[in-house]
Amino acid sequence: MPLLRALALTLLVMAAPLCAAPSEYQVKAVFLFNFSQFVEWPSNAFASPDAPFVIGVVGEDPFGTQLDAAVRGESVAGHPLKVKRYRRAEDVEPCQILFISATELARFDGILSSLDGRSILTVSDIERAAERGAMIQFANQDNHLRLRINVAAAKAAGLTLSSKLLRPAEIVGERQG
Amino acid sequence: MLLAYHAGAQTADDTVSTENLKKLSVEELMDLEVTSVSKRPERLLEAPASVEVITGEDIRRSGAPSIPAALRLTNNLDVAQKNSHEWVISARGFSSDVGNKLLVLSDGRTVYTPLFSGVFWDRQDYILEDIDRIEVISGPGGALWGANAVNGVINITTKSAKDTQGLYLDAGGGMDPHGFAGVRYGGSLAPDVSYRVYGKYSDWDHNALADGSDAHDAWHSGQGGFRIDAQPSTRDSLTLQGDFYHNGEEIQSGGVSTVSGGNLLGRWSQTLSDTSGLSLQTYYDRTHLILPVPGFAFAPAGTLKDDLDTYDVDFQHHFQLGSHSRILWGLGYRYTHDVVSNAPALAFFPTTLDQSLFSGFVQDEIPLREDLALTVGTKVEHNDYTGFEVEPSTRLQWNFADRQSLWGAVSRAVRAPSRIDHDISEPGPDYLIVILKGGQNFRSETLVAYELGYRGQLGPKAGAALSTFYNVYDDLRSTSISPPDPIFHLPFPFFFANNLKGATWGFELSGDLQPLDRWRLHAGYRLLEENLHIKPGEVDFNNALNETADPQQQISLRSSVDLPRQVQLDTDLRWIDSRRINNSGVAAHVPSYVDLNLRLGWNVSHALELSLAGENLLHDRHAEYGVPGPQQIEIERTVWGRLVCRF
Repeated sequence: MPLLRALALTLLVMAAPLCAAPSEYQVKAVFLFNFSQFVEWPSNAFASPDAPFVIGVVGEDPFGTQLDAAVRGESVAGHPLKVKRYRRAEDVEPCQILFISATELARFDGILSSLDGRSILTVSDIERAAERGAMIQFANQDNHLRLRINVAAAKAAGLTLSSKLLRPAEIVGERQG
Repeated sequence: MLLAYHAGAQTADDTVSTENLKKLSVEELMDLEVTSVSKRPERLLEAPASVEVITGEDIRRSGAPSIPAALRLTNNLDVAQKNSHEWVISARGFSSDVGNKLLVLSDGRTVYTPLFSGVFWDRQDYILEDIDRIEVISGPGGALWGANAVNGVINITTKSAKDTQGLYLDAGGGMDPHGFAGVRYGGSLAPDVSYRVYGKYSDWDHNALADGSDAHDAWHSGQGGFRIDAQPSTRDSLTLQGDFYHNGEEIQSGGVSTVSGGNLLGRWSQTLSDTSGLSLQTYYDRTHLILPVPGFAFAPAGTLKDDLDTYDVDFQHHFQLGSHSRILWGLGYRYTHDVVSNAPALAFFPTTLDQSLFSGFVQDEIPLREDLALTVGTKVEHNDYTGFEVEPSTRLQWNFADRQSLWGAVSRAVRAPSRIDHDISEPGPDYLIVILKGGQNFRSETLVAYELGYRGQLGPKAGAALSTFYNVYDDLRSTSISPPDPIFHLPFPFFFANNLKGATWGFELSGDLQPLDRWRLHAGYRLLEENLHIKPGEVDFNNALNETADPQQQISLRSSVDLPRQVQLDTDLRWIDSRRINNSGVAAHVPSYVDLNLRLGWNVSHALELSLAGENLLHDRHAEYGVPGPQQIEIERTVWGRLVCRF
């Protein structure tokens, strides 16, 4: 009898209606898409006028299918958006946005320094990523996503960030210009 | 919970479409509440071992009021509550009143007692909100963690002070716990220096005996502490933390036991490069125990006092050797100073014991192929009882497909003698007859373990893991009988020896399923077969029954669901098989049982959370441990409420 009672309770739970809220990485995927719209890349960041705009993910991909869903059919100034995944830091190819997965914590500084001088927007949710040189860091505050932006790092890479991003974000490091 | 390769993956049936999210502004996206995928240390995820992780969020969602209660969330542990303040917790068997094959670390501090190499769970506590995660490894961890990491390792890690900023208040009560309150405040001392201070108090109700009367096991506990985390440079991090506690605990046989103590720990870690780093940790831990001991065999009732001081220093370094090999090595030294004030009926000799433990380990992780990694390592220790002990391990992991891996391991582990094995005298020698004595020649117990496991993601929203083991033990603790004395012809004293050997085998199977974005299911099953016997020509007074009070099987089924209006419902249903328990060399049984824990929580706002939780809801009371009879304590159904404020 007790077992039956317990099963009944569990079934009750199963039947309960569920409400909607996006998952962390669904929203982060949409943010990555937004970055492609709100950041200006120098024209030399692309091999050709119709070269794809590549959002790269290095390390274990936390997005599942979300990132693909967010960029499907989209383009930036004629460059079709495309997602590429790089298993390891050595595999990273030229791209416009690079998301550095939390699995790359130990290799984080190395990845950043290997990108030095290239116009790649670096994004990560590793703690203090912005202080450590990533351009945009996702921080989680009470289940709300916050952007922390290292403006100096973006500027050094020749990227211009729209005020639509900067206004609601926390600016890390010296505010320049 | 299960170490599936977790991804925030969702499919087309999502109620919030990505297309709709793309229409929102940056500010609107920030206003959204998101469900988080907790961050887990990826290195551990990939570890070729049977590992389960309880996150802080898992603990919060379960409503567990204590660390032992939270450990019920794992599938690879056996958790039995003996009475209100005592738990018997083991992995892969060997549950007993003085279980000794599990190593428990709390923020890097070893918390087992050298009295019997077990853990006093009543003094392991934090503000549960401040716990980042609890990693539970079933299987030997001796190659990294050393003696006593025989059948498993539990690693409790609290959050960095910078992740516990602001004011946290927590209060509530009900049937059991009667009442509790906790407060924590986190702030910052300088731009890169964060701190937190906390205090908590809990008052726990007594349980009942079979006839419903008071089992005299009520208790209260108070604890406070702090943690400071600093990042003086991007390469360095420093942690300084400390806790102190004081508990008063009713003892079933009469009287009140006092347990108090504290600890202070410092840790410095430095990142040397992308592939190398080092850390240095040192701590001091003090525990003080006052335990009323009832009279026994001509000896009157009295009080045992134990004061233990532990000083420990540990160094670790990891680096890449050549193009592939990853080396991790370390050195450690521990000094313990134990002073016992003996009770007439329970004594330890020598009363003052100073011991040194030296240890070193090295582990090499070698990628043989893109999809195949070999880990070999060993720990070498020197303890004062048995001298050198070597605990090697070799592990192989094969990632045979995307997010699918098979692993295997062969390891040796030892359980070094403790004071109970060596120094105990029941009663003390001043009385007419000594019934039980430690064994002067007691050696280390040894294990050679063979493990095979699978771990993988089965589609975007399901994962599974299977860990199998075959453990071969030798020199397990037994109780020998003395030659009859010339006057009374009695076989006393009994004394501890190493006359048992045998094997255990079984598996742990668990699965995770997320049928809907807001609903997670977890199921687990565990099987344990034990075949211990007395070595040929030797004796054991307990008939090889005293070390293994284990259920053969256990099933758990958990559901975690987010309802509308920020309401969360979590249920945890468990079935525990009947538990064989030693009754002076004859097997007695604690009956099997099914029971249910439940939590209903409501996040009223970001600052306020209300919840109602219940444990053991299906029965008025049931026994989980102990020899059946009028003195066996039964754990009662309990319901309590809780209010949490975060500012």
